[in-house]
Amino acid sequence: MTSTALKGPSSPVLEVRNIVKTFGGVTALNDVSLDLLPGEVLCLAGENGCGKSTLIKIISGAEKPDSGEIIVDGNTYSSMDPTDAIKSGIQVIYQDFSLFPNLTVAENIILTSAVADRRRLYSGRAARPAAQAIVDELGLHLDLDADVERLSVADKQLTAICRALVSDARVLIMDEPTTALTHTEVDRLFVIVERLRSRGVGLIFVSHKLDEVLKISQRVAILRSGKNVVTSPASMLDPRAIALHMTGQELDETRHVSELDAQSEIVLELEGLGLRGAYEDVSFTLRRGEILGVTGLLGSGRTEIAEALFGVVPHDSGVVKVNGTPVRLHSINDAIDAGIGYVPEDRLTQGLFMDKSIADNIIAGSPNEHTTRFGTLDLRAVRETIQGLFARLRVKAPNVQAPVRSLSGGNAQRVVLAKWLARRPRILMLNGPTVGVDIGSKAEILGILRAEAAAGMGVIVISDDAPELVACCHRVLVVRHGRVVEILEGDDVAVDTIREKVAA
Amino acid sequence: MSGASLAIPDRLRLLRGANNEGVLAVVLLALIVAMSIANPAFFTLPTAFSILRSSIVPLIFALGVLMVIISGGIDVSFAAIAVFAAYTTVRALQSGTPDLGLIGAFALALLIGASLGVINGFLIAKFRLPTLIVTLGTQGIFKGALLTYVGSRYIADLPTSMAHVSTTNLFEVSTPTGSAYLHVLVVPAVLLAMGLAWVLRSTMFGRSIYAIGGDVEAARRAGIRVMRTQVAVYVIAGTMAAAGGMIYVIMGRSASPQILVGSELDIIAAVVLGGASIFGGRGSVLGTALGVILVQVIYNSLILAGVPSAWQRTAVGVLLIIGVGIQAVASRRSSRASVIDETHQKQEVPA
Amino acid sequence: MKLADPETKPLSRLNDSVDAGWTRLLGLGRIEGGVRRMLILVVVAFAVFAALKPSIFLSGTNLRNIALNSPEIGVIAIAMMLAMLTGGIDLSLVAMANLSAITMSTMFTAVAAGDPALAEQLFPVILLAGIAVGVLGGAINGLLISGLGITPILATLGTMQIYNGIAVAWTGGKTLYGSPSALTAIGSSTVAGIPILFYVFVLVAVAIGVVVTRTPLGLRIQLQGANPTAARYSGIASRKILLSTYVLTGLLSGIAGVLFIARNPTASADYGASYVLLVIVIAVLGGTNPNGGFATVLGVVLATLTLQIVSSGFTAMRLSAYQYAIAQGLILVAAMAFEQVKWRRRLRSRKPAVQPG
Repeated sequence: MTSTALKGPSSPVLEVRNIVKTFGGVTALNDVSLDLLPGEVLCLAGENGCGKSTLIKIISGAEKPDSGEIIVDGNTYSSMDPTDAIKSGIQVIYQDFSLFPNLTVAENIILTSAVADRRRLYSGRAARPAAQAIVDELGLHLDLDADVERLSVADKQLTAICRALVSDARVLIMDEPTTALTHTEVDRLFVIVERLRSRGVGLIFVSHKLDEVLKISQRVAILRSGKNVVTSPASMLDPRAIALHMTGQELDETRHVSELDAQSEIVLELEGLGLRGAYEDVSFTLRRGEILGVTGLLGSGRTEIAEALFGVVPHDSGVVKVNGTPVRLHSINDAIDAGIGYVPEDRLTQGLFMDKSIADNIIAGSPNEHTTRFGTLDLRAVRETIQGLFARLRVKAPNVQAPVRSLSGGNAQRVVLAKWLARRPRILMLNGPTVGVDIGSKAEILGILRAEAAAGMGVIVISDDAPELVACCHRVLVVRHGRVVEILEGDDVAVDTIREKVAA
Repeated sequence: MSGASLAIPDRLRLLRGANNEGVLAVVLLALIVAMSIANPAFFTLPTAFSILRSSIVPLIFALGVLMVIISGGIDVSFAAIAVFAAYTTVRALQSGTPDLGLIGAFALALLIGASLGVINGFLIAKFRLPTLIVTLGTQGIFKGALLTYVGSRYIADLPTSMAHVSTTNLFEVSTPTGSAYLHVLVVPAVLLAMGLAWVLRSTMFGRSIYAIGGDVEAARRAGIRVMRTQVAVYVIAGTMAAAGGMIYVIMGRSASPQILVGSELDIIAAVVLGGASIFGGRGSVLGTALGVILVQVIYNSLILAGVPSAWQRTAVGVLLIIGVGIQAVASRRSSRASVIDETHQKQEVPA
Repeated sequence: MKLADPETKPLSRLNDSVDAGWTRLLGLGRIEGGVRRMLILVVVAFAVFAALKPSIFLSGTNLRNIALNSPEIGVIAIAMMLAMLTGGIDLSLVAMANLSAITMSTMFTAVAAGDPALAEQLFPVILLAGIAVGVLGGAINGLLISGLGITPILATLGTMQIYNGIAVAWTGGKTLYGSPSALTAIGSSTVAGIPILFYVFVLVAVAIGVVVTRTPLGLRIQLQGANPTAARYSGIASRKILLSTYVLTGLLSGIAGVLFIARNPTASADYGASYVLLVIVIAVLGGTNPNGGFATVLGVVLATLTLQIVSSGFTAMRLSAYQYAIAQGLILVAAMAFEQVKWRRRLRSRKPAVQPG
């Protein structure tokens, strides 16, 4: 570690002590304490709902703690407002980056610090060189005059990093920084993280991706149900230990795959599928009753292939056959008509109607399948479907009229699943089916998929969670640079083999 | 990454202007040329000056509306505020209050406009209500209160200071080129436009308005005081509306509580035509001015072409649909292009 | 049974059916929660004015006037509710209704000039032509919004100007007289003491209520308004839904045009200019979420009655139309602020449910 810090490497740049925060009687953070050294990457890990985001909000001044204190560079605060936090050198890069899409890159970089300085006038001409300086210092290439809404996700993130550093950040908090990035973009980000460390900036990474956590951080702090259960050097932890601390229980990810009848017919067949610039020559088959895993790094093309099969971004070459008949997949409705269902990665915006009831969400995809001969909804059939799925998928909610917003991640995912099961698709694709889902729900969701496959559905699971793929998939496709490079079968479906093939 | 490859589109973008001001200017120019060829009477200084004269009040209203639209809202109460402020001022000056003079009269009107703006701003910022619905509500309240508690009488004789100053000024500004009259009140309109352009471009307040219109949550996280800024926007919009109302009354040399009713949507149409985005975060004073003038030129052209004035509303409606339709189709196309762009960018380069 | 489940045992099935019963009961209570407020408001408004000015307010004429004024406003308010349900708005409703009334009046006068008896006979044709004008206007709105992707507020702002401009140019700004006498007869007659027009209103409300809550189209309209992206990923064809919605609002405007001309055998371009604001007030007061996804027809019907009661109560108390305008504005803002505060409180109390675990 290059310890350029003034007070020596051991004096923390940020400390939080005994933070307690409750929402309406429920404790979100229970006596949490943390410290961060300059030039250090601390990973804050934990499952969804463990209190990570609440802690970040308290450090950044967006929420006030009930008790406890925050110490920055020796100054003690009982609570902060966003401007206090920015002034004392704390910067947060949120998952959505919180940029202004309608303003230029240069202006986005400068504006926040200008606000913190309580400036009254603004000069675009003066802003540009300041923005340029920070961009150059980090060795980046950014078009300073482009509107942010025209940038790629990676460039947006770089803009957010520049914005954080222009006001001389001492502490940089990044919320799930790698989620939307491709593999090379992640590598580039990590290079920049190293540069920041050498400047003495302390970084907090909020993440639930275990391998990433271990790769980049010096220390790991794990929260579970609002408590800091462990803080330990990264070298002392392995993925299994982290998972144990995060969930409080051993993972059960043993392989549990039914025997597949060699005679069962092929429900889906891809021949030379391609989309210019995204993927090419993708061919594979899916049998009735089979669970097929698709894996690869972010940006490998795995999501694009799934979206092509669901008609979101249609392919431009090749043929897709469902039950042996070529189908046209130019729109989502084409795909649904062909009997294909899709549980999308972004559950909250693409999968669910958050303020609508569980009942409305379950029936959303299949009103036409529940009509009387007058074309009105057959309320009895609707109720039977909803109650049947609600009970079978064990959605934990007081009743089916509860809004989906009140559900936890695992239960919300069951509702998305129920929406598709209500339609009985021939083929069901799931993208990241257990992301943000608690461990208990995870096992149950995989169980549901196994049961559906056993009942004759063809299932495709797109995931970068190797143990999950091993636990439920008959075969696993590995996608790299837009091509299917490997089809793992039988004993080859193992965690180590998958990780090795993906990274190769 | 998107570095040097953008050079040519960049240059095009510059010509078009951030909000298509370039396109609008070309359309306006083409219309003027076409009208001049069709009817030589159009291409004269008196016509130009009369178009400018009729643009004064709409421009002032449009500037207030522009600011609100950039902040991500919409204001349909400005006409009610304008009438309320102007008519109440005239009534106050008439009924025995010592003559405050032109400046005093304006000060009173602007104060009234600002107070009504506070009501809008408070309701919108404090309760985070949809702006269209709040201003529809306050529009009814302001108009009803004016007619119930202030008066409903038509006033033909303005207070001497206003009438006197307005008439004397009108003669003073007769221009040397021919017998064309350029109204003196063009001056405050132009000053207001330049002032607002400066505020929007060169003050933190102005940039905060754009930021809030772009993403309120991000603005809050950046430490921008959203509530205070929003209230200020509606206060200034109310003040501008009051100024527009006063100028309307002075130029019409009469006051009635029924004036300006129904002009709200024409103004909003002009601002949107001028390139402001109804979703907030985009818009410019130059574009708005061009939009207002375009609408006035079309009115004038229709009259010269002998089209019954009844068709004016239809013409503005058609213009709005065409303008917004082109924007909508273009943005849809560019969003489709960006999907493919994104796919391209996500593609990893083999090492 | 489509959803055969090997794990479902008799006991759990029994549990489920008990659960379902409770759920239905709770569901009923929930629906009434939104409408209950409106019911109370109607009763309170009625009681207040009945107490203050019983001699005028409770007179047969006044009550009949409430029943006569409500239908045209109520039908347009229901149309506004539909547009808001998809997350849009329709500012052109009143202009379309006027255009429909003008079409009918013009057709009748033109035919009657040659053969008055024939004009009376053609009454159904004239009626259909008026409604067709509304449907056409709505279809144009729908195409602009779903086809070109223009924001509803701007598209209907534009078409409002266009439809209104056509009406002004057509009538020369004058009021047209003349309509089939059968229509006027319907407009002025009552059954069981209640105007026929009010029955029409109830019929329209029930029909739209059925569409919204009991048909696939209605469910899709609600879902489209609640979250357009999720709707797309659920296979809901947003263009088709939006087009259908605006055709439906156009149809309702056409019906409102018929109601206009049934009440008074006249038509003009500027009739009901104040309705544009009024129907938004009614829709929002009736519990419609202007951001889309949530609304009930019953709530809107009750809100219509409330405002008509307030309006006629004001008249009974010799308050002016301007004071009524103030009341309208205050009711609108108060209703919105109330909803918002309630919503925020609910969000806050919900937070812990999401946070831990």
